[in-house]
Amino acid sequence: MSAAAGRPTDGAGESSLALACVMIAAGGLLLGMQIDGNGRLAGAGYAPLALGGLVALVASLVQLGRKGRLPRGPLTATSAAMSFFGITFLVGGVLVPGGSWMFWELVVLLWVLSRRRAREQFAGPEVGGAGLSLLGLMLVFRIWLTWQASRHSWQLFTVDVPLVARLPFAWIDSMRTLTVGAFSQQEMGFPPTGIDFPVTVSLWSAGFALCAVGLWMRGHAAREVEIERVHALIQVLPPQAALVVERLVPEAEWEALGFFGLPERRLARRIEGVVAERVQRQMQLEGALRSVRLLPPADAPGFPAGIRKALAEYRGEEEEA
Amino acid sequence: MNRGGARGPAPAMMALSVLLLLAGVWVRGIQVRLPPAPADRLQSGPRIAEPMQLLSRGAAHRYPELGDWVSEGARARWRTASAFAFELAGCPPLKTWLDGRDGQRIERLLADLRAGTREDAFAALVVIFQLARSTEWRPGVGGRAEHAEALGGLLADWLRGRAEGGADDALLHEPALAAALLYGRAMHVAWNAPLVGYNTASFERARGVLATLCGVGRRERTAFGRELAARYGRVFAALDATEPARFFAPFRAECELLFPELDGACSR
Repeated sequence: MSAAAGRPTDGAGESSLALACVMIAAGGLLLGMQIDGNGRLAGAGYAPLALGGLVALVASLVQLGRKGRLPRGPLTATSAAMSFFGITFLVGGVLVPGGSWMFWELVVLLWVLSRRRAREQFAGPEVGGAGLSLLGLMLVFRIWLTWQASRHSWQLFTVDVPLVARLPFAWIDSMRTLTVGAFSQQEMGFPPTGIDFPVTVSLWSAGFALCAVGLWMRGHAAREVEIERVHALIQVLPPQAALVVERLVPEAEWEALGFFGLPERRLARRIEGVVAERVQRQMQLEGALRSVRLLPPADAPGFPAGIRKALAEYRGEEEEA
Repeated sequence: MNRGGARGPAPAMMALSVLLLLAGVWVRGIQVRLPPAPADRLQSGPRIAEPMQLLSRGAAHRYPELGDWVSEGARARWRTASAFAFELAGCPPLKTWLDGRDGQRIERLLADLRAGTREDAFAALVVIFQLARSTEWRPGVGGRAEHAEALGGLLADWLRGRAEGGADDALLHEPALAAALLYGRAMHVAWNAPLVGYNTASFERARGVLATLCGVGRRERTAFGRELAARYGRVFAALDATEPARFFAPFRAECELLFPELDGACSR
């Protein structure tokens, strides 16, 4: 009996899917918060969210364009929507809130997240490992800018001018350092009283982790839900027949065979087709095995002998049977 | 067989996720606006108009009118002592002058005024600013820091007593912030006074006083710290600095913009 045959269809996949969606939404909530210098809650603004939505939309259309499928029920539809919003929140959370930095980041994210996926997209857009890594790096960049800005140091970094930096004259203060990558408070979308750096960055980091893990978990849970669904359909057959079907079409091949995301009726037709094809192939193979001539002598060395021996064993088993 | 309908806790969790999603969109719209400065709020009744004029170079034109605002018990002494400060000539070194008879009278008057009404406290600050303008507190060739330290001491005493209460006071709000800027400027001069090296003690003292006033390093900023952060963010951010040059630089820059004549060189 295959592993799938003993799989309980108790909705565990659905629970995981719902949990992943809760994580994505909670992460999005945290990524939208910042705490100002006086400890008050302030929003991170709609501009990064809108740009995140744009990236998510383009990524969704490109990913779903070739191999995508529409969600089937309310659960998978909500989950697909959550995936879209998860990408929106993640991108909106890591983008620098304004200025030229933001547009460069936008271009890079569009390029990375909008590439076509090798796997079929049956449950909404997904972010791969490379995409999440890039988003993580962008979060680090944003945190660095926020750290600089929280110290009212409105640049990426400064470089001391050799020798000049050491001269003990106050009137050359403005010439001691070179500024690299200047930005403004408006670009950072800070509240007027500044930002509580430790608390805000904790919120963003927790939000990013929740959102990223939620997206990853949602992909796995969506597959689990589909596996449970296909398994439940096969279990409609008498137990012996279901066992044979699951042996002929192992669970590991279900996604590659395009079972996931199909409506009930089309799924049944697809399974029927695959089973018929494999039974046919099995019969052809058996016919070929019976009719093949065992030409090489039994005692010949190497590869031909190995093949002959295997065929002979099969025939012997068949004759015994 | 499950035909797309969710079972168990999944529907409730999905509903929760939708609520969180809506909250995540809503929270981004929360805007924190800077509250209006106390001086900008509508006030009723008589008040001292444009108090910052009395801290600027033009204070000499208006200081007599403060006599009407000072408490009756201190009014006579105020008229005499303020005349000392505003008619002071010759640019004496601050500490040397304070040690004289007139200087001691002014110090006693300042102590009384600091503990008095808000108008009294303001009058005390006007005298301190005038002293900073009409006396010398630069270190000079001898690298002497005591004059700047004396000015810092007068300002620190005033700030400790009145800054926190003045943060939300229409009369004292801006003067208190200006006093903090001048305090940082004076302590910068004291820190930088020696010909070789620096007065580390001046830096430590300035940092301690300002950190206490603003609530730096505590869980919550003080009201004065909030106002300083709102109006002079660069100055407030510098309070965390461990390098003295970085600590004092914004005080110096802001003070040079607001009170260019208050550099320790007597402007008279």
